[in-house]
Amino acid sequence: MRCFVGKIVTHEEVQSDLKQLIPDAALRRRMSRVVKMAVSTAVECLGGVAEIPRVDAILTATGWGCLADSEKFLRNLITEQEQLLNPTPFIQSTFNTVGGQIALLGHNHCYNLTYVNRSHSFEDALLDGMMRLADGESRRVLLGAFDEMIPSLETITRRMGWWRHHTAGEGSCFMTLTPEREADSVAQVVQLDFPIEELSAEECRVRYATTPDAELIYCDATYEELYPTRSAARFSEAVQRIKAGTKEVVLYNNCMGMRPTVLVLQWLG
Amino acid sequence: MEQLILELKEHLIEELNLEDITPEEIDAEAPLFGDGLGLDSIDALEIILILEKNYGVRLANTAEAKPVFYSVKTLAEYVMQNRK
Repeated sequence: MRCFVGKIVTHEEVQSDLKQLIPDAALRRRMSRVVKMAVSTAVECLGGVAEIPRVDAILTATGWGCLADSEKFLRNLITEQEQLLNPTPFIQSTFNTVGGQIALLGHNHCYNLTYVNRSHSFEDALLDGMMRLADGESRRVLLGAFDEMIPSLETITRRMGWWRHHTAGEGSCFMTLTPEREADSVAQVVQLDFPIEELSAEECRVRYATTPDAELIYCDATYEELYPTRSAARFSEAVQRIKAGTKEVVLYNNCMGMRPTVLVLQWLG
Repeated sequence: MEQLILELKEHLIEELNLEDITPEEIDAEAPLFGDGLGLDSIDALEIILILEKNYGVRLANTAEAKPVFYSVKTLAEYVMQNRK
């Protein structure tokens, strides 16, 4: 089972103006920071709202979801003693808000699923996408991952000792996947293996690399900047390496307390 | 009345996240829904909460909502008549 990666964009690479990317003011004004970040990354990846109908599956992944709106809703619940609760933070706080907003923007009622499995969320969504493409159920998948950090979570997790050796991170990354090589294809995913036992960098190379030139991106518990879907950003880094001329990249992800995953990406040949 | 209208406009901007809009730009007599500010049913729920939280005003029955929610001015008149 393999698939081809088309355009891939992280939130740092979004160039266009938010109002241009999300022209519907009514949708835009209700979006929290993470929803704006993720939806604008998705639209930039597709090249505009008009392109949203061209995908036939929208898959999103998040470990933490829309934290700011969840916090707002829960605080309201306490301060208003479970009365007079604003509907907007509740509506916007669900994990599938981003997938839903992309669908609403593009009037696209296709298969739309959000995976929330801590640090496996991205890999689970990718597996779903690859299976749909392999089974012929989809021809063009939009796959994305996002997570946000908010001050209260950073404070709580700092007290828990999470950030002694790491930095609290956040980010979003979106890409298109197709079953066959297309004009915009830049790399192919040839293997997705998880969950596996913990491996050293050398063991990873021996088990998964098919060429001596293969490069390894090894993310373990010592990795510096963390959030649950960090592996999506590392996936983007692997694609950039392929675009720069590397023939194979082995991506090992063992962050944030779940069993490791391995992805193997190759050039188009 | 003018002060109440200004206050209501500020609440609407804040609670409905009306980006890039100042109180002066909201016509107190223009429709809130449809053509005017383009608000929708979720905003209507938010406006109910604005009235209740800030002025203790509750809509007695939903049938009266349409004329009351027509504009900022009709909202202000309803608050004037019913505030606690």
